[in-house]
Amino acid sequence: MRQIALYGKGGIGKSTTSANLSAAFSEMGLDVMQIGCDPKHDSTRMLMHGRWIPTVLEQMYDHKEIRSEDIIYQGFGNIRCVEAGGPEPGIGCAGRGIIATFQLLEKMQALYGDVVVYDVLGDVVCGGFAMPMRDGYAQEVYLVTSGELMSLYAANNICKAIARISERSSAKCRLGGVICNAKNMDNEQGLVEEFAKRIGSKLVCFIPRSNSVRAAEVNRMTVIEHDPASNQAKVYRDCAKIILENTDLRIPTPLALEELEELAREYL
Amino acid sequence: MGGCTLTGALSVACFIPGAVTVVHAPKGCAHQTFSMLHALMNEAETRIVPEILVSGLSDKDVIFGGEDCLRQALDRAAEKKPELIIVVTSCVPETIGDDCLAVCREHPYAERTLYIPTSGFLGGSAKDGENAALIGLSALAEPADPVPGTVGIIGEKNLESEVEENFAEVQRLLDLLGLTVSVRFCRNAAVSDLRKLGTVSCFILRDGRCADAGRELGRRFSRPVVGGFPRGLSGSVSFLQETGKACGLSAEKIESAVLQETKYQKKMLERFANLAGSRVCLGAEPFEGTLTAAREALACLDMTESPNGINVRLPFYLPVGVSGTVKMLYLWRRAILHG
Repeated sequence: MRQIALYGKGGIGKSTTSANLSAAFSEMGLDVMQIGCDPKHDSTRMLMHGRWIPTVLEQMYDHKEIRSEDIIYQGFGNIRCVEAGGPEPGIGCAGRGIIATFQLLEKMQALYGDVVVYDVLGDVVCGGFAMPMRDGYAQEVYLVTSGELMSLYAANNICKAIARISERSSAKCRLGGVICNAKNMDNEQGLVEEFAKRIGSKLVCFIPRSNSVRAAEVNRMTVIEHDPASNQAKVYRDCAKIILENTDLRIPTPLALEELEELAREYL
Repeated sequence: MGGCTLTGALSVACFIPGAVTVVHAPKGCAHQTFSMLHALMNEAETRIVPEILVSGLSDKDVIFGGEDCLRQALDRAAEKKPELIIVVTSCVPETIGDDCLAVCREHPYAERTLYIPTSGFLGGSAKDGENAALIGLSALAEPADPVPGTVGIIGEKNLESEVEENFAEVQRLLDLLGLTVSVRFCRNAAVSDLRKLGTVSCFILRDGRCADAGRELGRRFSRPVVGGFPRGLSGSVSFLQETGKACGLSAEKIESAVLQETKYQKKMLERFANLAGSRVCLGAEPFEGTLTAAREALACLDMTESPNGINVRLPFYLPVGVSGTVKMLYLWRRAILHG
């Protein structure tokens, strides 16, 4: 079983990328599960044709005895979709919610299949959001970033978390590579490619900005489902293939802030 | 070990008859803390059963926020119609960001509810919890004109075994000055008594442990603060001088009190005259200051300290005034005369 986590800055397109990769994996005939690890619980919405599925945390506390069908819902391509959920903004502890979700999924033995894709809230704000990288869950992390400085900054911070977690002898988590979800900036691909190189990794995929993403979203579908013949669908399929074939997993070397800023200046 | 802020705060809050204390925490925090308080109260032969309610924060509350849990605990506390609800918190609600003050203010029982942010380990040690509780509870009292001849005792160690004996010794000295204690803040004092805090002419702290609260109270009510209960024999004399001065007594009144005290001490020491010439080896000092008080007593009784002398114990708590010294001398005499 391949367990893949996508991390990146909020709003960078992790959920869109995750859902399209899951759809592409499913097209390859793989048994896929996607777990949204974000309190806003919209990771699997496009796979579920716009449906907001009940979250694990809602179900966990509404039912005395929770069953797998209460939290696992089949979406496009029979992808098993799960949303961790979390508190309303400003209260409680979302990180603890992620931990509780993993404990429940583990207890239910619900983590199985050929590929499990974890779509995790942007910044690793506390230990809870590092949970998918710990305890042997996601063994490959892919950073989703654009060429914007703040997006690279968040990706660099996640590298710090991976590097720290990797120090433990029991840790299996490594960086698989960087996915550039482009914002149509000048020199964007070169910048992200260089960033990936400097952190000791590589650019695995460049996803150009495309109207087909918007069109698919307003129709509550992934690009793979909505416009399977489009160039954008091919980009996602290629990306999924590269990830599946990728065996080059590394411990990243995060950059100092000054170096990161200098890098961004070089590619202006 | 500094202990937990929650323990410190409860050691103050539990000694207010008519009040209910709500502990906003997981059940385990309240259980651990109260078990310790209960054990210490038993040791001190304290016969009180404080009204404590725990909000019982669960995993669900940690994830989704514990404010509802606190609200429900306040509802249960309010049903008892107490004179006061005191809310203290463990580290959990502070970590997850519960707005406990807002919940207390919005509750129908808000006028009789006092929130003391203690925040468990995040807020420091048990000492910090005691100070936070004393400062928080002082909000019950409005600034008022001082009533001459009255003092307030601040921060008695409710869990120590000799708390009443120590208070009696302080009261004996205050009697010599003609002063009366109008509030013991907070030692078995009803809420109505606590409200009198602003009327005293001087605050007397139990010791430096509650110095933070002493500073805050002194500033808020513009009153002098005596830093601690008297330590040993000379400490009793200086306590009379300092307290008398702080309360604005005349020099003659203070001198007269000192004279009476000196006679009293002389008479007390005569009872231990048979210890003169003894050589003793003093044990380890449990709290700073005990050794000084012990050496002073040795000198007054013509005893000497020697590593080869008879081993005598120092009291666990600092000897307060003459009564504390007498208790220590009884211990020594038993060791010297009877082995």
